[in-house]
Amino acid sequence: MGSVSIRKVVKSYGAVPVIHGVDLEIREGEFVVFVGPSGCGKSTLLRMIAGLETITGGEIAIDGKVVNDLPPRARDIAMVFQDYALYPHLSVRENMGFGLKLRGTPAPEIEARVGDAARILKIDHLLDRKPRQLSGGQRQRVAMGRAIVRKPKVFLFDEPLSNLDALLRSEVRTEIKKLHQHLKSTIIFVTHDQVEAMTLADRIVVLKGGHIDQVGPPDTIYNAPATQFVAGFTGSPPMNFLPAELTDTHIRFENGQSLAIPDQRRPRGLPSGSRVVFGIRPEHVSRADGAAQLDMPVTLLEPLGSDTLAFLSVGEREIVGRFVPELAPRPGETARISIDMRKYHLFDQDHGRAVGSLDG
Amino acid sequence: MSAAPAAVATHGEAEIKINRLWLFAAGAAVVVNGMFPALWVLLTSLKTEGELTRVPISYLPQDPTFQNYLTAFAAQPLARFFFNSVVVAGLSTVLTLLVSAFAAYAIARLRIRWKNVILSAIVAVSMFPLISLMVPLFQTMRALGLLNTYLALILPYVVLNLPVCILILVSFFSAIPRDLENAAMIDGCTRLGALFRVVLPLTAPGVFTAGIISFVNAWDEFLLALSFTSSMQMRTLPVGITLYQGEFAFPWPIISAALIVAIVPIAVVIVIFQERVVSGLTAGGVKG
Repeated sequence: MGSVSIRKVVKSYGAVPVIHGVDLEIREGEFVVFVGPSGCGKSTLLRMIAGLETITGGEIAIDGKVVNDLPPRARDIAMVFQDYALYPHLSVRENMGFGLKLRGTPAPEIEARVGDAARILKIDHLLDRKPRQLSGGQRQRVAMGRAIVRKPKVFLFDEPLSNLDALLRSEVRTEIKKLHQHLKSTIIFVTHDQVEAMTLADRIVVLKGGHIDQVGPPDTIYNAPATQFVAGFTGSPPMNFLPAELTDTHIRFENGQSLAIPDQRRPRGLPSGSRVVFGIRPEHVSRADGAAQLDMPVTLLEPLGSDTLAFLSVGEREIVGRFVPELAPRPGETARISIDMRKYHLFDQDHGRAVGSLDG
Repeated sequence: MSAAPAAVATHGEAEIKINRLWLFAAGAAVVVNGMFPALWVLLTSLKTEGELTRVPISYLPQDPTFQNYLTAFAAQPLARFFFNSVVVAGLSTVLTLLVSAFAAYAIARLRIRWKNVILSAIVAVSMFPLISLMVPLFQTMRALGLLNTYLALILPYVVLNLPVCILILVSFFSAIPRDLENAAMIDGCTRLGALFRVVLPLTAPGVFTAGIISFVNAWDEFLLALSFTSSMQMRTLPVGITLYQGEFAFPWPIISAALIVAIVPIAVVIVIFQERVVSGLTAGGVKG
């Protein structure tokens, strides 16, 4: 088990910078998820920690020891790859014991550790098979087993679930979380899927264009997003955004409709007339009485079973609300919709930063 | 409804049958063309000189004899030629595989500028006619004092075989996912370790193919072997076999016996590895 320190890390390919000075401290035993759209640099950052990519600038330390110039094999890490990367010519047993064998571990100990890991992952009946004889989920378990037997300081997962079908994905996701609770080891997990990030992480690192947009526990990321990007990346469906203008008492939208701001949620540091982006999550768009209300035409319904999504027009814009199926408005009608103004967010129109000190 | 698909199916089957007939005919033509001379040499090696020149011609040996083989070994140091060929072809193959594996791995994996230019240059070099290289090579070998040594043949054979071997291995190495090597390096391998423990075992068909091609080329090579070795002790089989002919005589049965001695080992090697070589020639380009 180990900590990972990332200090002012920069990565460029030739003249093209892809990581622009990232700082991050990962504590021992922590489950950290790097999340972001493709091209945000999350995999590159992970591969720099692994030693598979060189570090252009800055420093990466594992357990206090700078590893910039250490090859992958000397960093005491293990990695699980998206496409499993099992050695096709070796059996499951040999795949899992490969790293131990290279490190000169005595055969009986390899056997014992491979056996233990196989039992934890429920693959002990597959040990003599070759990777091609396994299903996708089984292969992913073997890949995890190969990482576990090494007892490394840090586990690195590079989008390990993206090749699995939806059902299997949530199953293996649960197992990874159980594994972390069992092993209590440091895990860095890369994904583009915000659900994986929310469900697995102790802390989420949201990356965008080679920068860290926000670092925090899942509930902070969800309830107090630091930028419009983070807000729009989390939740399904994600947060609704409407350009608006701030007055002393109201938030006025482009079509002239406006919402009264409750006294205790008045934005600070923003003069009247400020142009902002108003953000509200779908679950805070409801038909409850007593809250701020707007009349909105209903364009479309998407029933999900447990609840129903309704697409609502605000002038030229559209927002999504999540309703209890019985209370969902009907398409075509103009419904009176409540907006929970205790839960709204404001973002800067130019930079997307959260403004108005509404959180906390 | 049901008649139409059945008719189509019959038509399709007939077409497949005709196609197979053509394939079989073409295959038979290739086999006969390739096998007949070898078979004729084998039959000749079992005949006496008298039977060979008798009219009318006899196809199968009337009185098969192994005397020609004994004479072949007695008249010239055929065993020595054979040994020399094994040494030269064997060592040059090992060296070729080693060098081409490193070169191909570098081309397939490392971030190098002008990769395609390098590959094209390698192919271009292999197009030079051997005869144009003879004089400079000869002078080089003489200057290095290597004439009449195994190295005089091994070094040029390695160089001549490198391009095709590199091309074969590049296509095989490129088909191996990089993350396999990354996994190996994280597991504790150096890059070279990953090459030897993971990449080469997985590309065995390609390595065998390259190895066979390089071995056969070296085994059959005549021009350099004739020019760079003059001592009897250093002759290889192709050159040695020409020594059976006298000024006025061509002892065909004895020459045939020596030829069979030269052909059989290579045929055996190819039969043993043929499955791997066939899969090696067809796979590689396609991921699989």
